[in-house]
Amino acid sequence: MHIVKLCGRLLALGMLLGATGCSSLGVKPWQHELMARDEMKLDSEAIDNALDDHLYFSKEASSGGRGFAGGGCGCN
Amino acid sequence: MHPAAKRPGRAIRNRLIAASCTLLSAAAARAGDGGADPAAPAEDGQTIVDTALAYYAENNGRVRAIEPIVNLRHDFGDERILALKLTFDSLSGATPNGAVPSTRPQTFASPSGHSLTAAPQTYTTASGQTSVISSPIYTVAAGQLPMDPNYHDQRLAVSGTYQLPVSGLTQATLGGDLSYEHDFLSVSGNGAIAHDFNQKNTTLSLGGNLEFDMVRPIGGAPVAGSDYTLFEKQGDHTKHDANVVLGLTQIMTRRWLADVNVSYDQLNGYLNDPYKIVSLVDSLGSVTGYLYEKRPDRRSRTSVFLENRLALDRASAGLTLRYMSDDWGIHSETAQLKLRWSNPQRDRYLEPQLRWYRQTAANFYTPWISSGGTGYITNASADERLGAFHAVTWGLKYAARFPDDSGGDGSELSLRAEFYRQTPDRRLAGPGALSGLNLYPGLQAVLVQVEWRFGY
Repeated sequence: MHIVKLCGRLLALGMLLGATGCSSLGVKPWQHELMARDEMKLDSEAIDNALDDHLYFSKEASSGGRGFAGGGCGCN
Repeated sequence: MHPAAKRPGRAIRNRLIAASCTLLSAAAARAGDGGADPAAPAEDGQTIVDTALAYYAENNGRVRAIEPIVNLRHDFGDERILALKLTFDSLSGATPNGAVPSTRPQTFASPSGHSLTAAPQTYTTASGQTSVISSPIYTVAAGQLPMDPNYHDQRLAVSGTYQLPVSGLTQATLGGDLSYEHDFLSVSGNGAIAHDFNQKNTTLSLGGNLEFDMVRPIGGAPVAGSDYTLFEKQGDHTKHDANVVLGLTQIMTRRWLADVNVSYDQLNGYLNDPYKIVSLVDSLGSVTGYLYEKRPDRRSRTSVFLENRLALDRASAGLTLRYMSDDWGIHSETAQLKLRWSNPQRDRYLEPQLRWYRQTAANFYTPWISSGGTGYITNASADERLGAFHAVTWGLKYAARFPDDSGGDGSELSLRAEFYRQTPDRRLAGPGALSGLNLYPGLQAVLVQVEWRFGY
């Protein structure tokens, strides 16, 4: 139940930010050309990130942030 | 020649579509970061194959690993993308068992052991049958960090995600992961939804993941906190992890993309490392015994993750910051910077990276237990990963892109190397004879990776 309540609050906060706080930011659709570069895609280095996350998951007490915190690994 | 220069109209259109899809679903896809990635660019009907082979090695004969990965991503069109990922790990080497070095040699049993003597032992079962078994043991020289030299493991992991449109501005991602080791099984399922606002400059996402793990230690799971020499073991245990991630991605300017994720997860169940022990040390610095470690059976973590990407003419930069806090008393900060320089044709690039990490210790972390205490512990672990330390990673990546003569997007070959150094903080001096020993050796490791990505 705690997680359900937290989800609801986070979603409400995010919708508020998305609908209001960010409305003055951004560019026009025809100004997206730099965002189309590979290095500007947040998931363009999926394998690099997966290997790094596995290393850090097995050697440090923190994980996740970029995605889910679980590791599916018995190394920690 | 870069493919984009070869076919500018089509390439730009495809990349704009891909960028739009990425923005719509970036956080949702990243919510399943441990799995395959469906949101990278792919044309309708195209399959992208991303393969890598990584070699990892720690100093002082510690863990070595070889890890091949294959990522397959197929675009069915209409923003429906299936991604599958297959990972295999093969690990070997030595791993610390948690005990402190001593001025005398120390003998331990391997996980399957049931005695600290190598001589064959005779056992009588409840049915009256007798058996003779030799226990696998290892002896660590005086002054050396106790490590089990026979560590080896293999892991096979499969994950998949399917991305589908819910409406013109909303996309959903469903996924699952299965990971198998001979002493560990993990199954998880996840889902995420992402919605676009503000002329597709803003994307809000919410994802959830449920993970079920079965811990099946070699020789059985020890009774947490029990006397190591009694070898009290109970069989298998389970643990569960429930995780939610809220993400907000925002195009700030033409050159600046920002992303923030807030994550909360709660773990319940058997959270001990079944192979870790804690030394009992008297006031003279003599090791008088060992206990199996004992951790709480619940853990809640909250993290805030911020990523910024900046596009310059021939360069780009990525800065990520993360703060994590849990109810075990661990707080951590992470900062990572990547810079990328491309040649004028944009078919070669060099990417150095620097990562800095720091964590405080869990409130039950202790390198040893004073044997003059009460003899009863609530929770205690000497696992160095729960101690206070900072770590620095230096890395360098070089990649070359090759055009496809048939007009496709070609392929990319890259080589990446990283050096990781972990340095313990808050080093307590050992009592008596332990004061002259190196109780906190730290860790150094290298990672080398070659990756080949192509589409057909």
